[in-house]
Amino acid sequence: MSRIGRFWNKLANPDRIPKLFALVLGLLLLVGFVIPLDLNVDQIYPRPVPQVQIDEGIPTAPYDRGGEVLKLPGITKAQYPENSKSIGWITSYMSPQAIYVQSISPYFGTSIYSSPGGLIDEILYYTRGFDTILESTILMMSFIIASFLAANFTMNRKKREAPDKNSKYYDPTIESERLSEEE
Amino acid sequence: MDLASLGGNILGTIPLGDIVLYVTPFHLFMFVVVLIFTALIAISRTETQVEGSFGTLKDHKVSVGLSEFKSRRFLAIICGLATAGAMITGDLFNFTLFIALIGIVNVGIVSAVKQIDVLDAAYQYGIIAMICSLPLFGGASIILASTGTLSLFELASMATATPMMIFGSLLLLMGVAGETGIAPFFATKAEMFRTPGSPFILIIHLSSLFVIIRTIEILLIIIKII
Repeated sequence: MSRIGRFWNKLANPDRIPKLFALVLGLLLLVGFVIPLDLNVDQIYPRPVPQVQIDEGIPTAPYDRGGEVLKLPGITKAQYPENSKSIGWITSYMSPQAIYVQSISPYFGTSIYSSPGGLIDEILYYTRGFDTILESTILMMSFIIASFLAANFTMNRKKREAPDKNSKYYDPTIESERLSEEE
Repeated sequence: MDLASLGGNILGTIPLGDIVLYVTPFHLFMFVVVLIFTALIAISRTETQVEGSFGTLKDHKVSVGLSEFKSRRFLAIICGLATAGAMITGDLFNFTLFIALIGIVNVGIVSAVKQIDVLDAAYQYGIIAMICSLPLFGGASIILASTGTLSLFELASMATATPMMIFGSLLLLMGVAGETGIAPFFATKAEMFRTPGSPFILIIHLSSLFVIIRTIEILLIIIKII
Protein backbone atom coordinates (compact mmCIF):
# COMPACT_ATOMS: atom_id res chain seq x y z
CA MET A 1 0.00 0.00 0.00
CA SER A 2 1.26 3.43 -0.83
CA ARG A 3 2.22 5.86 1.90
CA ILE A 4 -0.68 8.21 1.21
CA GLY A 5 -3.11 5.29 1.38
CA ARG A 6 -1.77 4.34 4.80
CA PHE A 7 -2.22 7.96 5.91
CA TRP A 8 -5.87 8.01 4.75
CA ASN A 9 -6.52 4.78 6.62
CA LYS A 10 -5.13 6.30 9.80
CA LEU A 11 -7.43 9.30 9.31
CA ALA A 12 -10.45 7.00 9.21
CA ASN A 13 -10.11 6.24 12.94
CA PRO A 14 -12.30 8.66 14.95
CA ASP A 15 -9.99 8.43 17.99
CA ARG A 16 -7.20 10.14 16.09
CA ILE A 17 -9.26 13.05 14.74
CA PRO A 18 -9.28 15.33 17.85
CA LYS A 19 -5.51 14.89 18.21
CA LEU A 20 -4.93 15.74 14.55
CA PHE A 21 -7.25 18.73 14.79
CA ALA A 22 -5.53 20.01 17.92
CA LEU A 23 -2.13 19.65 16.22
CA VAL A 24 -3.20 21.60 13.12
CA LEU A 25 -4.84 24.28 15.28
CA GLY A 26 -1.71 24.55 17.43
CA LEU A 27 0.48 25.06 14.35
CA LEU A 28 -1.91 27.73 13.04
CA LEU A 29 -1.87 29.52 16.42
CA LEU A 30 1.96 29.46 16.38
CA VAL A 31 1.83 31.24 13.00
CA GLY A 32 -0.15 33.94 14.81
CA PHE A 33 2.96 34.97 16.75
CA VAL A 34 4.71 36.18 13.59
CA ILE A 35 1.69 38.02 12.14
CA PRO A 36 2.21 41.79 12.58
CA LEU A 37 -0.33 43.30 14.98
CA ASP A 38 -2.61 45.64 13.09
CA LEU A 39 -5.29 47.02 15.38
CA ASN A 40 -7.83 49.54 14.17
CA VAL A 41 -8.38 52.24 16.81
CA ASP A 42 -11.64 53.33 15.16
CA GLN A 43 -13.75 50.61 16.80
CA ILE A 44 -17.50 50.35 16.46
CA TYR A 45 -17.92 49.26 20.10
CA PRO A 46 -15.34 51.38 21.99
CA ARG A 47 -14.29 50.67 25.56
CA PRO A 48 -12.85 53.20 28.02
CA VAL A 49 -9.16 52.86 28.86
CA PRO A 50 -8.75 50.36 31.72
CA GLN A 51 -8.86 51.79 35.26
CA VAL A 52 -9.87 55.29 34.11
CA GLN A 53 -13.42 55.03 35.48
CA ILE A 54 -12.20 53.32 38.66
CA ASP A 55 -9.70 56.14 39.31
CA GLU A 56 -12.51 58.66 38.86
CA GLY A 57 -14.48 56.86 41.58
CA ILE A 58 -17.57 56.04 39.48
CA PRO A 59 -19.55 53.27 41.29
CA THR A 60 -20.62 51.63 38.02
CA ALA A 61 -17.04 51.38 36.71
CA PRO A 62 -16.05 49.90 34.28
CA TYR A 63 -19.53 49.86 32.71
CA ASP A 64 -20.41 53.53 32.94
CA ARG A 65 -21.56 54.88 29.57
CA GLY A 66 -22.70 58.29 30.72
CA GLY A 67 -26.21 59.70 30.52
CA GLU A 68 -28.94 59.89 33.11
CA VAL A 69 -31.96 57.59 33.24
CA LEU A 70 -34.99 59.22 31.51
CA LYS A 71 -33.18 62.58 31.29
CA LEU A 72 -30.06 62.41 29.11
CA PRO A 73 -29.01 59.76 26.56
CA GLY A 74 -25.75 57.90 27.17
CA ILE A 75 -22.83 57.62 24.76
CA THR A 76 -23.24 54.50 22.63
CA LYS A 77 -22.21 54.01 19.03
CA ALA A 78 -24.05 51.81 16.56
CA GLN A 79 -23.15 50.52 13.12
CA TYR A 80 -26.52 51.54 11.72
CA PRO A 81 -27.98 54.36 13.88
CA GLU A 82 -31.04 54.50 11.59
CA ASN A 83 -32.05 51.03 12.86
CA SER A 84 -31.69 51.98 16.52
CA LYS A 85 -33.88 55.01 17.04
CA SER A 86 -33.73 55.22 20.84
CA ILE A 87 -30.01 54.53 21.15
CA GLY A 88 -28.44 55.86 24.33
CA TRP A 89 -31.72 56.05 26.23
CA ILE A 90 -31.65 52.63 27.83
CA THR A 91 -27.98 52.68 28.80
CA SER A 92 -27.34 51.70 32.40
CA TYR A 93 -30.92 51.28 33.45
CA MET A 94 -30.82 50.15 37.07
CA SER A 95 -33.43 48.47 39.24
CA PRO A 96 -34.24 50.09 42.63
CA GLN A 97 -32.14 47.50 44.47
CA ALA A 98 -29.22 48.21 42.14
CA ILE A 99 -29.51 51.95 42.75
CA TYR A 100 -29.44 51.29 46.53
CA VAL A 101 -26.35 49.05 46.32
CA GLN A 102 -24.66 51.58 44.06
CA SER A 103 -25.28 54.34 46.63
CA ILE A 104 -23.57 52.43 49.47
CA SER A 105 -20.77 50.60 47.59
CA PRO A 106 -18.12 52.04 45.28
CA TYR A 107 -17.53 48.59 43.72
CA PHE A 108 -21.00 48.06 42.25
CA GLY A 109 -19.83 47.70 38.63
CA THR A 110 -17.56 44.75 39.39
CA SER A 111 -19.91 43.00 41.82
CA ILE A 112 -22.39 40.22 41.16
CA TYR A 113 -25.28 42.72 41.50
CA SER A 114 -24.38 44.34 38.21
CA SER A 115 -25.27 41.31 36.08
CA PRO A 116 -28.87 40.11 36.50
CA GLY A 117 -31.26 43.00 36.17
CA GLY A 118 -28.80 45.52 37.44
CA LEU A 119 -26.86 47.21 34.66
CA ILE A 120 -28.49 46.46 31.34
CA ASP A 121 -25.96 46.96 28.61
CA GLU A 122 -27.29 48.67 25.56
CA ILE A 123 -25.10 46.77 23.11
CA LEU A 124 -26.14 43.39 24.48
CA TYR A 125 -29.84 44.10 24.74
CA TYR A 126 -30.57 46.64 22.05
CA THR A 127 -28.25 47.08 19.09
CA ARG A 128 -26.99 43.47 19.12
CA GLY A 129 -30.00 41.90 20.80
CA PHE A 130 -30.28 39.08 18.25
CA ASP A 131 -26.84 37.80 19.29
CA THR A 132 -27.98 37.59 22.89
CA ILE A 133 -31.04 35.58 21.83
CA LEU A 134 -28.82 33.15 19.93
CA GLU A 135 -26.37 32.82 22.83
CA SER A 136 -29.15 31.89 25.22
CA THR A 137 -30.56 29.49 22.58
CA ILE A 138 -27.21 27.68 22.50
CA LEU A 139 -27.29 27.39 26.29
CA MET A 140 -30.90 26.20 26.23
CA MET A 141 -30.14 23.51 23.63
CA SER A 142 -27.24 22.17 25.69
CA PHE A 143 -29.49 22.03 28.76
CA ILE A 144 -32.20 20.24 26.74
CA ILE A 145 -29.69 17.62 25.56
CA ALA A 146 -28.22 17.15 29.04
CA SER A 147 -31.62 16.91 30.73
CA PHE A 148 -32.93 14.47 28.09
CA LEU A 149 -29.95 12.20 28.67
CA ALA A 150 -30.23 12.56 32.45
CA ALA A 151 -33.96 11.80 32.45
CA ASN A 152 -33.82 8.83 30.08
CA PHE A 153 -30.49 7.20 30.88
CA THR A 154 -30.09 7.69 34.63
CA MET A 155 -33.41 8.42 36.36
CA ASN A 156 -35.99 6.68 34.17
CA ARG A 157 -33.95 3.65 33.14
CA LYS A 158 -36.43 1.18 34.58
CA LYS A 159 -39.39 2.88 32.97
CA ARG A 160 -37.93 2.58 29.52
CA GLU A 161 -39.94 0.81 26.88
CA ALA A 162 -39.71 -2.96 26.84
CA PRO A 163 -36.57 -3.91 24.92
CA ASP A 164 -36.72 -5.36 21.46
CA LYS A 165 -36.08 -9.08 21.69
CA ASN A 166 -34.62 -9.16 18.17
CA SER A 167 -32.01 -6.53 19.00
CA LYS A 168 -28.42 -7.56 19.24
CA TYR A 169 -28.17 -5.53 22.45
CA TYR A 170 -30.92 -7.59 24.08
CA ASP A 171 -29.63 -9.24 27.25
CA PRO A 172 -32.04 -11.78 28.90
CA THR A 173 -30.37 -11.47 32.33
CA ILE A 174 -30.79 -7.69 32.47
CA GLU A 175 -34.38 -8.06 31.28
CA SER A 176 -35.26 -10.55 34.03
CA GLU A 177 -33.72 -8.23 36.65
CA ARG A 178 -35.74 -5.34 35.25
CA LEU A 179 -38.97 -7.34 35.46
CA SER A 180 -38.31 -8.51 39.03
CA GLU A 181 -37.57 -4.95 40.17
CA GLU A 182 -40.76 -3.68 38.56
CA GLU A 183 -42.80 -6.20 40.53
CA MET B 1 -15.02 41.29 -3.45
CA ASP B 2 -18.33 43.11 -3.35
CA LEU B 3 -21.59 41.51 -2.31
CA ALA B 4 -23.36 41.92 -5.64
CA SER B 5 -20.81 39.95 -7.69
CA LEU B 6 -20.90 37.07 -5.18
CA GLY B 7 -24.61 36.70 -4.59
CA GLY B 8 -26.37 38.87 -7.15
CA ASN B 9 -28.30 42.08 -6.58
CA ILE B 10 -29.50 42.71 -3.05
CA LEU B 11 -33.26 42.18 -2.98
CA GLY B 12 -33.75 43.57 0.50
CA THR B 13 -32.53 43.70 4.08
CA ILE B 14 -34.02 42.67 7.40
CA PRO B 15 -32.67 45.14 9.97
CA LEU B 16 -32.43 43.92 13.57
CA GLY B 17 -30.48 46.76 15.10
CA ASP B 18 -26.84 46.41 14.18
CA ILE B 19 -27.42 42.92 12.79
CA VAL B 20 -28.74 43.34 9.27
CA LEU B 21 -29.81 40.19 7.45
CA TYR B 22 -29.66 40.62 3.69
CA VAL B 23 -31.25 38.71 0.85
CA THR B 24 -29.77 38.17 -2.60
CA PRO B 25 -30.93 35.54 -5.15
CA PHE B 26 -28.08 33.24 -4.01
CA HIS B 27 -28.89 33.50 -0.30
CA LEU B 28 -32.62 33.33 -0.89
CA PHE B 29 -32.18 30.07 -2.85
CA MET B 30 -30.09 28.46 -0.10
CA PHE B 31 -32.44 29.73 2.63
CA VAL B 32 -35.53 28.29 0.91
CA VAL B 33 -33.83 24.95 0.13
CA VAL B 34 -32.80 24.51 3.77
CA LEU B 35 -36.32 25.35 4.93
CA ILE B 36 -37.84 22.82 2.46
CA PHE B 37 -35.51 20.08 3.73
CA THR B 38 -36.31 21.00 7.33
CA ALA B 39 -40.04 20.74 6.60
CA LEU B 40 -39.52 17.33 4.93
CA ILE B 41 -37.57 16.12 7.95
CA ALA B 42 -40.17 17.47 10.38
CA ILE B 43 -42.96 15.35 8.84
CA SER B 44 -40.98 12.14 8.31
CA ARG B 45 -40.46 9.11 10.52
CA THR B 46 -37.25 7.28 11.35
CA GLU B 47 -36.05 4.24 9.49
CA THR B 48 -35.46 0.89 11.21
CA GLN B 49 -32.33 -1.02 10.35
CA VAL B 50 -32.06 -4.80 10.10
CA GLU B 51 -28.59 -6.16 10.59
CA GLY B 52 -28.20 -9.54 8.91
CA SER B 53 -25.41 -11.99 9.53
CA PHE B 54 -24.04 -14.72 7.25
CA GLY B 55 -24.66 -18.36 8.02
CA THR B 56 -27.34 -17.85 10.65
CA LEU B 57 -30.96 -16.76 10.78
CA LYS B 58 -30.29 -14.24 13.57
CA ASP B 59 -31.28 -10.94 12.00
CA HIS B 60 -31.08 -8.02 14.42
CA LYS B 61 -33.52 -5.15 14.32
CA VAL B 62 -32.19 -1.77 15.45
CA SER B 63 -35.04 0.67 16.03
CA VAL B 64 -35.56 4.07 17.64
CA GLY B 65 -37.82 4.53 20.67
CA LEU B 66 -40.60 7.12 20.83
CA SER B 67 -39.01 9.56 23.29
CA GLU B 68 -35.71 9.44 21.44
CA PHE B 69 -37.57 10.00 18.16
CA LYS B 70 -39.26 13.11 19.54
CA SER B 71 -36.05 14.52 20.94
CA ARG B 72 -34.18 13.91 17.70
CA ARG B 73 -36.92 15.48 15.59
CA PHE B 74 -36.91 18.61 17.76
CA LEU B 75 -33.13 18.96 17.59
CA ALA B 76 -33.15 18.33 13.81
CA ILE B 77 -35.69 21.13 13.29
CA ILE B 78 -33.58 23.51 15.40
CA CYS B 79 -30.52 22.51 13.37
CA GLY B 80 -32.39 23.25 10.12
CA LEU B 81 -33.55 26.65 11.36
CA ALA B 82 -30.03 27.54 12.52
CA THR B 83 -28.65 26.57 9.10
CA ALA B 84 -31.30 28.70 7.39
CA GLY B 85 -30.39 31.64 9.63
CA ALA B 86 -26.69 31.24 8.86
CA MET B 87 -27.54 31.48 5.14
CA ILE B 88 -28.93 35.03 5.22
CA THR B 89 -27.14 36.66 8.15
CA GLY B 90 -25.13 39.79 7.38
CA ASP B 91 -23.05 39.91 10.53
CA LEU B 92 -19.87 37.95 11.21
CA PHE B 93 -20.42 37.31 14.92
CA ASN B 94 -24.02 36.33 14.28
CA PHE B 95 -22.76 33.78 11.74
CA THR B 96 -20.34 32.21 14.25
CA LEU B 97 -23.13 31.93 16.81
CA PHE B 98 -25.34 30.10 14.30
CA ILE B 99 -22.48 27.68 13.61
CA ALA B 100 -21.93 27.06 17.32
CA LEU B 101 -25.65 26.29 17.63
CA ILE B 102 -25.45 23.83 14.69
CA GLY B 103 -22.45 22.11 16.30
CA ILE B 104 -24.06 21.54 19.69
CA VAL B 105 -27.36 20.37 18.16
CA ASN B 106 -25.47 17.88 15.93
CA VAL B 107 -23.95 16.27 19.01
CA GLY B 108 -27.39 16.18 20.64
CA ILE B 109 -29.02 14.36 17.70
CA VAL B 110 -26.75 11.33 18.13
CA SER B 111 -26.29 11.59 21.88
CA ALA B 112 -29.00 9.04 22.73
CA VAL B 113 -28.16 6.23 20.30
CA LYS B 114 -27.45 2.79 21.72
CA GLN B 115 -24.59 1.68 19.45
CA ILE B 116 -21.34 2.02 21.34
CA ASP B 117 -19.15 2.78 18.31
CA VAL B 118 -21.51 5.55 17.17
CA LEU B 119 -21.50 7.06 20.67
CA ASP B 120 -17.73 6.94 20.69
CA ALA B 121 -17.55 8.80 17.37
CA ALA B 122 -20.07 11.38 18.66
CA TYR B 123 -17.90 11.85 21.74
CA GLN B 124 -14.83 12.57 19.61
CA TYR B 125 -16.90 14.96 17.46
CA GLY B 126 -18.07 16.72 20.62
CA ILE B 127 -14.46 17.20 21.73
CA ILE B 128 -13.64 18.84 18.37
CA ALA B 129 -16.76 21.01 18.59
CA MET B 130 -15.60 22.22 22.01
CA ILE B 131 -12.05 22.93 20.82
CA CYS B 132 -13.55 24.84 17.88
CA SER B 133 -15.02 27.59 20.07
CA LEU B 134 -11.53 29.04 20.32
CA PRO B 135 -10.72 29.48 16.58
CA LEU B 136 -14.35 30.31 15.69
CA PHE B 137 -14.89 33.18 18.11
CA GLY B 138 -11.20 34.06 18.21
CA GLY B 139 -11.14 34.52 14.44
CA ALA B 140 -14.23 36.74 14.53
CA SER B 141 -12.75 38.85 17.34
CA ILE B 142 -9.40 39.22 15.53
CA ILE B 143 -11.27 40.45 12.45
CA LEU B 144 -13.20 42.88 14.69
CA ALA B 145 -9.96 44.13 16.27
CA SER B 146 -8.22 44.71 12.95
CA THR B 147 -11.15 46.25 11.07
CA GLY B 148 -13.27 47.80 13.85
CA THR B 149 -16.51 46.37 12.49
CA LEU B 150 -18.43 43.11 12.22
CA SER B 151 -20.95 44.01 9.54
CA LEU B 152 -20.36 42.24 6.22
CA PHE B 153 -21.44 45.38 4.32
CA GLU B 154 -18.67 47.39 5.98
CA LEU B 155 -16.14 44.56 5.57
CA ALA B 156 -16.95 44.37 1.85
CA SER B 157 -16.24 48.08 1.42
CA MET B 158 -12.75 47.87 2.99
CA ALA B 159 -10.00 48.60 0.47
CA THR B 160 -7.39 45.94 1.31
CA ALA B 161 -6.96 42.95 3.58
CA THR B 162 -4.17 43.21 6.14
CA PRO B 163 -2.19 40.11 7.26
CA MET B 164 -4.05 40.10 10.57
CA MET B 165 -7.42 39.99 8.78
CA ILE B 166 -6.19 37.02 6.73
CA PHE B 167 -5.01 35.27 9.91
CA GLY B 168 -8.40 35.89 11.50
CA SER B 169 -10.16 34.46 8.44
CA LEU B 170 -7.94 31.36 8.55
CA LEU B 171 -8.83 30.85 12.22
CA LEU B 172 -12.51 31.25 11.32
CA LEU B 173 -12.15 28.66 8.53
CA MET B 174 -10.43 26.30 10.98
CA GLY B 175 -13.28 26.72 13.44
CA VAL B 176 -15.92 26.04 10.79
CA ALA B 177 -13.96 23.03 9.49
CA GLY B 178 -13.96 21.43 12.91
CA GLU B 179 -17.47 22.42 13.91
CA THR B 180 -19.04 21.04 10.73
CA GLY B 181 -16.62 18.13 10.33
CA ILE B 182 -15.31 18.59 6.78
CA ALA B 183 -12.21 17.00 5.30
CA PRO B 184 -9.81 15.91 6.72
CA PHE B 185 -11.81 15.73 9.96
CA PHE B 186 -14.82 13.82 8.59
CA ALA B 187 -14.08 10.38 10.09
CA THR B 188 -16.05 11.12 13.28
CA LYS B 189 -19.03 12.25 11.24
CA ALA B 190 -19.00 9.26 8.92
CA GLU B 191 -19.13 6.94 11.94
CA MET B 192 -22.03 8.92 13.40
CA PHE B 193 -24.17 8.08 10.34
CA ARG B 194 -24.13 4.36 11.13
CA THR B 195 -27.17 4.51 13.36
CA PRO B 196 -30.89 4.21 12.49
CA GLY B 197 -32.99 7.32 12.23
CA SER B 198 -31.97 8.37 8.76
CA PRO B 199 -33.72 11.71 8.07
CA PHE B 200 -32.59 13.24 11.35
CA ILE B 201 -29.03 12.08 10.89
CA LEU B 202 -28.99 13.57 7.39
CA ILE B 203 -29.57 17.13 8.63
CA ILE B 204 -26.10 16.91 10.22
CA HIS B 205 -24.62 16.38 6.76
CA LEU B 206 -26.86 18.88 4.99
CA SER B 207 -26.11 21.70 7.45
CA SER B 208 -22.36 21.29 7.04
CA LEU B 209 -22.62 21.39 3.22
CA PHE B 210 -24.58 24.65 3.26
CA VAL B 211 -22.46 26.24 5.98
CA ILE B 212 -19.25 25.54 4.05
CA ILE B 213 -20.61 27.30 0.94
CA ARG B 214 -21.60 30.33 3.02
CA THR B 215 -18.24 30.36 4.83
CA ILE B 216 -16.35 30.47 1.55
CA GLU B 217 -18.50 33.40 0.44
CA ILE B 218 -17.82 35.28 3.69
CA LEU B 219 -14.08 34.60 3.46
CA LEU B 220 -14.08 35.96 -0.12
CA ILE B 221 -15.82 39.09 1.17
CA ILE B 222 -13.20 39.57 3.89
CA ILE B 223 -9.87 38.69 2.28
CA LYS B 224 -10.62 39.89 -1.30
CA ILE B 225 -8.40 37.45 -3.20
CA ILE B 226 -10.29 37.89 -6.44
